[in-house]
Formats: sequence, C-alpha cells, structure tokens
Amino acid sequence: MGNLKNSHLIEGTIWLTIVLVFFAFTYDFNQPIEIYKFGATGWPRVILGILLFVTLGNLFHQYRFGSAAQSGRVGISDDDDEADGTTSTGAVLKIIAVLGTPFLYALSLKPAGFYFATPFFIVFIILLFGERRPRWIISITLLIYALLLFLFMMVLNAPLPQGNVSPFYDYSAFILRMNSQFQQLDLW
Amino acid sequence: MIENFLLGSSALFGDPYTLAIFVFGVLGGMLFGAIPGVSMLTLAAILLPFTASLTPAQGVMLFAVIYCTGTYGGAITAILFNIPGAPENAPTAFDGYPMTRKGLAGKAVGAAVLCSAIGGVASALVMMAATEPLAKWAIRNIGPPEIFALVFFGLAVASSVGGRTIWKGWMSVALGLIIATIGQDPVGGIDRFNFGFSDLAAGIAFVPAILGFFAVSEIFVQAEKTARGRYEAPPVNMEFPSFFELWQQKIAVIRSVFVGFFCGILPGIGATLAAFMGYGEAVRWSKNKESFGKGNIEGVISSETANNAATGAAMIPLLALGLPGGALTAMMVAVFQMHDLEPGPLVFYNSPDLIWVVFAAMFYANLSILFIGILETKTILYLLKIPFQFLAPLILLLASIGSYIGRGLVLDVMVMFGAGIIGFLLRRSGYSIPGIVLGIILGKIGEQNFAQGMQMVHYDLFDYLSRPVCLILIIAGTLTLASGLHKAFKANPA
Repeated sequence: MGNLKNSHLIEGTIWLTIVLVFFAFTYDFNQPIEIYKFGATGWPRVILGILLFVTLGNLFHQYRFGSAAQSGRVGISDDDDEADGTTSTGAVLKIIAVLGTPFLYALSLKPAGFYFATPFFIVFIILLFGERRPRWIISITLLIYALLLFLFMMVLNAPLPQGNVSPFYDYSAFILRMNSQFQQLDLW
Repeated sequence: MIENFLLGSSALFGDPYTLAIFVFGVLGGMLFGAIPGVSMLTLAAILLPFTASLTPAQGVMLFAVIYCTGTYGGAITAILFNIPGAPENAPTAFDGYPMTRKGLAGKAVGAAVLCSAIGGVASALVMMAATEPLAKWAIRNIGPPEIFALVFFGLAVASSVGGRTIWKGWMSVALGLIIATIGQDPVGGIDRFNFGFSDLAAGIAFVPAILGFFAVSEIFVQAEKTARGRYEAPPVNMEFPSFFELWQQKIAVIRSVFVGFFCGILPGIGATLAAFMGYGEAVRWSKNKESFGKGNIEGVISSETANNAATGAAMIPLLALGLPGGALTAMMVAVFQMHDLEPGPLVFYNSPDLIWVVFAAMFYANLSILFIGILETKTILYLLKIPFQFLAPLILLLASIGSYIGRGLVLDVMVMFGAGIIGFLLRRSGYSIPGIVLGIILGKIGEQNFAQGMQMVHYDLFDYLSRPVCLILIIAGTLTLASGLHKAFKANPA
C-alpha cells in the first residue's frame, strides 16, 4: 500500500466515481452532429479521459509520497495546514451547521421568498459565528436587511424571489407594495 | 493623434452634461465593480435603455468609462475579503487576500490602484495609436484555431499554479472543464449532463461558481476557525507601497501590460484570461515562486495591470471591426445600434468625434482610478474593522443576490452554496480553486473555438499547426505540461 492511507483511497474513489458517472451520462446525448465530426460527446469524453489519467497519477503520487506537498509548487494556500489538528464534537457540529444553513436558506427562497427568509438567515449566521448579545443581533440584522432592501429593491429594482406559498408570498407582496407606494411619492 | 486627443478632451470637458456623465460612469463603475456579483455589467444593463436619450458619443463613452473603472473596482473586495467583484479580479485575490491576512491590505490595495491605472493608461495610449493597424493584423492572423491554442496555453499555465501537487493542479482544471460542459453543447445545441433539471440546460453560470468557490468557501474557512477558536481578525494597516517597492516591480508591470493587451484584442477572451495569464507569467519568471499565493505583491500587480490593460485593447476589435469581445462591449454595440450607427471601420471616417471622445474618456477614467482610488482606499480599509460575525451574513447575502439576479434562478444560489462547500473541502485537500474557476470560464470558449477551428482546417492537424500563432502557443502549452509531468514523476516532497 506504500504511503496510501484510507483518506487517499476515499478521495480517489470519489474522483473515479465522478469520471464513471459522467461517462455513463454521455450516452444520454451521444448523437452525431451533422456539421461537427466529434459530436456532442467528443469534448466531454476527452476531458473525462484526462481526469481519469490525472486521478490515477494523483493516486500514484500518494502511493509514493503520501499527502506531502510536491517541492517547488507555487501558490499553495495555507488552509490545508490549518486544517490539521483536533476538533471537538461541538466544533464539528458548528461547522456542519454553518455549511448547512446557507443551503437551507437557498432551498427556502422558492417557497418563502427572499424578503421573508433573509432576516432569519442573518440571525442564524450571526449566532453561528458566536455573537450572543441580543441587542447587537437584532440591530445588525435590521441594518443589513434595510441596506439590502434599499440597494436591491429601491435603487436597482432587482427582481428577487417572492416565494410561492402563502403567507410568505403575501408578506413579499406587502413589502413590494410599500416600495412602489414609496417610489410614487414626489419627494423632490 | 495628439491633436485628435485634445479635441476629444475638449469635447469631454467643454460640455458640463458630458462631464457629468463621465463622472457618473467613473464612480458608478467603481462602486458596482466592488459589489460582489453585482458587477459593472449590472450597471451597464440598467443604464442601457437610458442611453437612447444621450448622444451616441455620450452613450458609448459612458459604457467605456464603466468598463475601465469597473474592472478596477472588483479588486478591492478581492483583496479585502477574497471576493472578486468580477471574474477578471479572481487572480488578484490569490495574493491580495493573503496580504490582507498579514496586515498588508493597504499595500495590496495601493498596488492595485496604481497598477490598474498604469495598465489602463498604457492600454488607452496604445489603443489611440494603433487601433487600426492592430485590428488589421488581428483579423488576418487570429481566428478560432488561435483562440483555442491560447486557451490551451492559458490552462496549461493555470494548472502549474496552486494545488499541493501538479496532479491536484491538473485535477482542479479538469474538474472546472467538466463543469463547463454542463448545459447545451456549443455546436449542435444538444443538452448535456442536465441530470433531469431543465434549469441546467443553460449550463452552470460562472458568476455563482466564482462567488461560491471564493467568497462562500472563505466564509466557511473562517467559520471553521471560529468554531475551533482560531479566528483572528486581520490587522488593519494603512501603509501604501513605497515608491521603491513599486519600482522593483517595473518588469512585472511592463510584462503584464503586454499580456493584457494581447489577450484584450482577442474577441471572447478579454480581461479574465489576461489577468490569469498576467499572474501565471509573473509566477513563471519569478525567482521566488514559492511566495506566490502567500501574499506576494507582484501577484496583485501582475493581475491588476493585465486586466486593466485588456480594457483598452478590447475596444480595438469593437471599434475597428465591429466585433464585441465580451458582454460589456456587446452592450456597446447595442448603444451604437440604438443611434442607427454600426461599429466598424466606417466609424473612424463617419464619426471621428465620437471615437476621440471615447478614447479621451478612457484615458482620463484610468487616470481617475489613481486619484479616486487613493482617496477611497483609506475609507474602504475600515471595513476590515467590522467584526466578522456581522460581515459574514452581509457577504453571504450579497453573493446570493449576485448569483440570483444574473438569470433569476434559485438554482444559481444553490450552485453557489454547493460550490462553496466543494471549495471548502477541496481547499483543505490541497486542490487549486483558481484552476477550477479558470477551467469553468475557459471551458466553453475552448470547446467552441476548438470545434470551429477543426471545421476551418477540415480536421487536419498539420493544417492546424501550419498556422504560426497556433504552433507557438501549442508548443508553449505542451512544454509547460511536459515539464509539469517530468517534475511530477521526479517529485520529492517539499
């Protein structure tokens, strides 16, 4: 097994799975294109071939040298060095929560809409980053929410997700109605 | 040329309304360039309908000014928060953000201000002098085969930067390339890898991917540090780079001006590849290669000089040939058309006043980066004093909105967070995030130009390599890859 560790085998398996899954899916669109000899599959299959080659090369490197960085490599970030060391269960749970919360927020955008989901998202993120003072949490949440509404709703008129489930949709409609009434005011 | 330039300048400064539009463009470009996801393109798209009420010179000039200052604006967030305002600022973050973490944000932003201005001014001067002859050369010598060869070379260089081993550098680029194949194929329009999601037919947009891989993964890295009690706020230092420090980088600046200008001329390539190649060349020629990615000021200088040098060059195919090189120059074509004008060689004869107002405005816009940039930098650096627990939700939300408003798809927000999680995990395992991003950006361009190039040479490799520019770039790229492979098999742990 040389210097190969279980983590290397898992890493290699993930990459090989990506190659296999994508290769299998190329048969979904394996149709000729009249004006182009290589068709729709030519380019992706070449890239998958390259990916397979370099994945095997990476495994070979790990077999010989383990996880050690290659000498003379340029522009390596120091994140991996910092990732070493022990982590408590509480910290792991916190990291999982930080990774999961934005994803849940993205999932909630369609049903609940930007206008409703955003303040809750801000509060969760502030809490996950360790802030516990209620006055600060509330005031910063309101400040960020107001800033985003001002910039994207009032200045840019950006069409943000409104939600498609009541009462969230009604809340978005209320905010947008307020905005249009405000914009109709002749402040000048 | 000088006479025309003075005439253009007097038309710009002589009319208060034109001057007001110029100032608006300068400030608007900088501001929108600095908001992640909401790039100068957003501002340009908002303003497009309003240009109908402007004169053609004012309309085109406004867009040209936004292009110059917007390209610089994205560097600020790239340096301070690892969030490139636009794809062309991505390489600026490689060394700019580590400088911020070391307490050298002032130096990094100062270098970006100065070098953006130098790159832009140099590019504007060359543009004024050489638009017509350069355009003639480019149309004769540059086509899809050459663009593919340049993409190949760019990717070969990118794989040598970042990644704990060369294999991981290549795997990162290949991952980016395979992500870029999601969506319709560029020749036959056949859906690929949509996995049953109709929204994926349009492919993975690169703005959400970039925001995810850079900004969101950075938040996750900081969250991990906070959870493990290792987070330290970056020290704020207002010190600008000294004249001596900048003088030491003169070769990097000159090289990046050339790289940026060459990439900028090529339609569809533009400032993004210019910035990556400017950075890659800086690494290649440096005696201190290992310091790149850890806060080397030369990385910031090379990237920012090259991307701004590309802005003037991008006007060359637009004005001389009517070929837009990117999204913003395509919008400029729309401005021309709204006024019943067609960009191309005839514009030089029919509307020389328009051309020289635009040239003069681009020159002064790049100069204004220097003055306004220095003034605003000290204010902007105070952003670093905001506690990270309050900054994190703001960054995540700006990135979410930036991802969403491009195409109005919630899927893009999910893609961004997905890219953030993948980026977070890959960074820990020693993969190269810049490599993935460049693969995504160049994948589609590369495939499209490969297909067109192959059709042009009737699938004959010898015919392809008989084109001198192709031959040089393919040999250079192959040598880069071969040298990497040689090192990989001889590799010794650092």
